[in-house]
Amino acid sequence: MTQFVLAGVLGLLFAFGTFLVLRRDIVRVVWGVTIIAQSANVYLVTMGGLAGTVPIVGHGPPADPSSVTDPLVQALVLTAIVIGFGTTAFALVLTYRVYEEHGTIDLDELGETGGEV
Amino acid sequence: MAPQVVIAPLLIALVTAILSLLLRRFPRAQRAVSLTGALAYLGGVAWLATAVARESILVYQVSAWQAPLGITLVADALSTFMLGLTAVVSLAAVVFSARYMSEYGQQLSYHALYHLLVVGVTGSFLTGDIFNLFVWFEVMLLSSYVLVVFYSGPEHTRAALQYTVLNLLGSAVMLLAIGGLYSTTGTLNMADMARRLANPAEFGIDPVPVLGIAAILFAVFALKAGIVPFQFWVPAAYRAAPAPVSAMLAGVTKKVGIYAIVRLYFTVFAAASLPAGLSLPGFAGDSFLAFFGPILFVMAAASIVLGGVGAVSRVDLDGVLAYSSIGQIGFVVLPLAIAATVPGVRELGIAAALIYALNHGLAKAMLFLASGTIREAIGTVRFEYLGGLARRTPVLSVGFFLGALALVGIPPLSGFFGKLLVFRTAADAGAVGGQGATLALALALGGAILTVAYFSRAWNEGFWGTQSEAVRTATYSPTLVAVVISLAATLVIVGVGFDPVMRAARAAAGAAVDRGTYVESVLPGGSP
Repeated sequence: MTQFVLAGVLGLLFAFGTFLVLRRDIVRVVWGVTIIAQSANVYLVTMGGLAGTVPIVGHGPPADPSSVTDPLVQALVLTAIVIGFGTTAFALVLTYRVYEEHGTIDLDELGETGGEV
Repeated sequence: MAPQVVIAPLLIALVTAILSLLLRRFPRAQRAVSLTGALAYLGGVAWLATAVARESILVYQVSAWQAPLGITLVADALSTFMLGLTAVVSLAAVVFSARYMSEYGQQLSYHALYHLLVVGVTGSFLTGDIFNLFVWFEVMLLSSYVLVVFYSGPEHTRAALQYTVLNLLGSAVMLLAIGGLYSTTGTLNMADMARRLANPAEFGIDPVPVLGIAAILFAVFALKAGIVPFQFWVPAAYRAAPAPVSAMLAGVTKKVGIYAIVRLYFTVFAAASLPAGLSLPGFAGDSFLAFFGPILFVMAAASIVLGGVGAVSRVDLDGVLAYSSIGQIGFVVLPLAIAATVPGVRELGIAAALIYALNHGLAKAMLFLASGTIREAIGTVRFEYLGGLARRTPVLSVGFFLGALALVGIPPLSGFFGKLLVFRTAADAGAVGGQGATLALALALGGAILTVAYFSRAWNEGFWGTQSEAVRTATYSPTLVAVVISLAATLVIVGVGFDPVMRAARAAAGAAVDRGTYVESVLPGGSP
């Protein structure tokens, strides 16, 4: 059951992210990219399987080693989240900079006012 | 030789980046460190290359965690070939930047960012793990975002916005593909993946979804390499970035996408084959490469045509160079497409692609640096303000002319052999009965004519004709001209002393298709 709910939510998140990326407002575009990146992270977590228990090694081996969820994907997701933080911060600063330079965050207007290098 | 030599170039670039960040208040010391670092990087790559030439493949397991559990760095002839290109272009670009970038720009950590870009590129060439490839890509991209927006004027912020958003989406897609590959094959290590894909039944792998995921991943690499239809960020980003950064972007980081395609699709995914019952419409054969061959071919054809036609109609030198770079990447991909489709010419095709990549890396880096020299002297590279440069600064013009000739493919420059090998691959493929070889030949010929057309236009408008006022009164920096000329000399040297380069490219192509050695070196005793 969980996997169907998760698949539906992931699909919705990707659709919503794509919808935002196609907006005219740059801030929404950045939000859209962030949402898509986060849904990619959630998707990555699901790749390790959802059936097992938490991958924590306590004292001694777990009763049934095969019941533990794959911890590797969670390590991967941590890396991807950190990278995502950095890139999102940069994208937001860049948005501010675009506003300073062009006086607008409307992508249509941006297409008209751009000067020559 | 201790395997630690594998990480030497990586460490050198990283230490240089950190030191130049610490020295940002002392511009002269920072420049000195940056130049020393670039030289040391060249030395480190040469050291690694000699070690690889002796032992054919070197594997470094980080913290001695054996693959496939740990992180693996692998250096073989293919990696060192690409690293060699990086080292040469990077050294020239650093020398150029030391004079070209203002003191204020240097305080803004230009050199630190630049060396972090080199770190990312080096890591991508050396990694033996797909998730680490993603991480190194991000290291490379994060620094390149900032370098593209470096001048932060209106045009630059706009170009950087487009570049950043596209690459962030590319990264998300790459993450999806990596997750899918992990889920379907159960591993992230490239050698382990090749071993498992060669034996799908034993490891319970269904090759059909792997093909789909490989195709998604392919789109990401095509985006990095700027192949049509993923080329639209290229012109704006290359024009916005400072000249030495454009030289690096066009010369080296584009080639990271090409390297990833060669490494993953010719070494790893080529191990797999599709079940016989599954016949895809329009594709012959059941190997993965037979699926990607026609796609690569169409993309190469579109790149050559679109890049060439786009370059003919540009109004400024940087625009011509940026569009030309789309067209030239088509020439790199074309032999790869043939190599993927026709197994008989696989090694030759990869060698041709690598030689062409080397030629384009050197020549296009040099042309962007030449354009930067002109911009520094005159303040613009729009053709309407140029004219008569050949009489005003003959040395620089000779450099530009050599670069243009190298991309057109005139002997004895390196470009001649690049073009020759592309034609030879197509002809050989035709001889062994490959389909579409005639079409490939016609395409390469048409592309070559387009190259002649846009470079003669650039030459006529910028370098011949009446001298404009701006050209007459400008003074050209001897240091910058010297860098351009040294790179131009490299083009001639590579062309005249082509034998060792050809041997290196052959070795690299051999390493790319020699899956058995790769798997056996990374996973001792694990080869099927």
